[in-house]
Amino acid sequence: MTTPAFEAVPEAPQIAEASLAEPGAWKRMPKKVWVGCGIVLLYLLVALLAPVIAPYDPLAIEPANRLASPDMAHLLGTDELGRDIFSRLLYAARVDIPIGFLGALLPAILGTMLGAIAGYFGRWVDTAIMRTADVVQAFPAYILVIVLVFALGQGAGSIILAFTVLAWVIYARIIRGEVLRVRDRDYVQAARVAGLRKMRILRVHVFPNVINQTLVYLPNDIVFATLALAAFSFLGLGIPPPTPEWGAMIAEGQPFLRTNWWFATVPGLVIVGLGLGLSLIGEGLEEGLRA
Amino acid sequence: MLFGIVLVVFLVLQITPGDPARQIAGLRASEADLEEVRQELGLNDPVIAQYGRYVGNLLQGDLGYSYKSRKPVADIIGDRISVTVWLLTTGVLMTLLISVPLGVVAALRKDRVADHAIRGFGLLGLSMPAFWTGVILLLLVALPTGWFPAGGFGDTFGEKLRAIFLPALTLAIGSSPFIIRGLRAAMISVMESDYISTARSVGVAGGRLVRRFVLRNAAGPGVTLLAIEIGYLLFGAVVIETTFALPGVGQGLVIAAQGRDLPSVQGYTLLFALVVVAVYLLSDVVTAMLDPRVEIDT
Repeated sequence: MTTPAFEAVPEAPQIAEASLAEPGAWKRMPKKVWVGCGIVLLYLLVALLAPVIAPYDPLAIEPANRLASPDMAHLLGTDELGRDIFSRLLYAARVDIPIGFLGALLPAILGTMLGAIAGYFGRWVDTAIMRTADVVQAFPAYILVIVLVFALGQGAGSIILAFTVLAWVIYARIIRGEVLRVRDRDYVQAARVAGLRKMRILRVHVFPNVINQTLVYLPNDIVFATLALAAFSFLGLGIPPPTPEWGAMIAEGQPFLRTNWWFATVPGLVIVGLGLGLSLIGEGLEEGLRA
Repeated sequence: MLFGIVLVVFLVLQITPGDPARQIAGLRASEADLEEVRQELGLNDPVIAQYGRYVGNLLQGDLGYSYKSRKPVADIIGDRISVTVWLLTTGVLMTLLISVPLGVVAALRKDRVADHAIRGFGLLGLSMPAFWTGVILLLLVALPTGWFPAGGFGDTFGEKLRAIFLPALTLAIGSSPFIIRGLRAAMISVMESDYISTARSVGVAGGRLVRRFVLRNAAGPGVTLLAIEIGYLLFGAVVIETTFALPGVGQGLVIAAQGRDLPSVQGYTLLFALVVVAVYLLSDVVTAMLDPRVEIDT
């Protein structure tokens, strides 16, 4: 039984037979992938250009104009300190997106490497890595993130570190299985007979044939990492104020739901949009690689 | 297993910055006062001795005292736990109510409009943060109708049910997509198997086929999925209790973490870990009951 990185996506991963390295592989991808890529690219662009697009400084307080309704000056109104919500949303992309991506990418890299090493070298290396994985997996992951962040102190670094410590396991498991499948294929044996060094065989002959699974999983994991980050900040345990962050903005807006409903809801829509884009890529890759 | 969890949680919390004695005695306490508190709590002892004492107390049901309220952590948890049990039970029931019919329909109408619609809903559900779903339900349902309290928990059965309805629905919306997806996949693979063809060929069809043959065989993976999801559900409880101001253990953990109340954080974490381990065990038992081919290995 495979338990996924963030205790979600419970489906057993399908084995992707087609390789992205094959010619024309990208052309066979379903349209979803491109729609998803478009959405994600838009978000990346916004994050990159936030200082140019944003009409105000996201931290500039304007007490005389607090909780203003949307108008031409403030597209989404202002928050309880009179800060421009629209500008804060844009700047938050520079917090949420890098942490979400890193929080998924680092465990993916770590897990893929450990899984490949465990699968290829076997014996005590395998035992050591997979036992560690068992122990990590026995914990309720999200709860342990709260404990780790509690222990390490709030902030981006702690959160990324906590994700990395916990989420590498799924990649290690999947890739180890894939490596075991590929390890005794003819071309790997041929490489071994030809006297190539182990690390080189692993890098050149094994790795490209097992990396697909990581790629299929990664977009979903970025969604989880982003949602988790937003959740922790919403709880007041993630990115400390006054840094703009989508989850924290929802928490800031909730008390004013009756009068300023857009304050708490729009940041959520922004998260959902990014999540949808990434999920589309994930689903599309899975379908395209299985075909 | 459980002892491993206790050990890891204990060690992780050892690296927590800050001086507990200062936290308890207050900012104006003198160095002598601090030393007294440290002695009292045994903070000057070696880490191993502290761990031994903690485990010893744990076995007697003593989780230590909260740095904030000075009350026993076990009592604080006891006061809060019923709310969370309510939330989780209602949430899981609602998850089943939503996901079983939708999963079955999606599998039976594979690649048709209904399937695509259900999978679209799933994709959306996966991308929605639970706390935001909660906020939306408050905005669209609780505020206009006035039927549901915007926070807190009631005393009578009816009040409790009313207070728990929207939070449980929030939980269900977040967890249904996984179950629908898994159930759909499990049913499709069961339907392609030989014994279903056999059952069809001897004239079993319609609802009877689905209930007796397909669903029964797909239920095992479904239960396993629900068990795997317990981690998500617990975290959901943490987030949703905070959103709806429900005084459960999830909210307790957040308050404890915000207040840097170490013994409480430790207590809550162990409770959650215990629940996860228990649920995994329980799911093995239930799977074995549903499918006589499965044996429990102990």
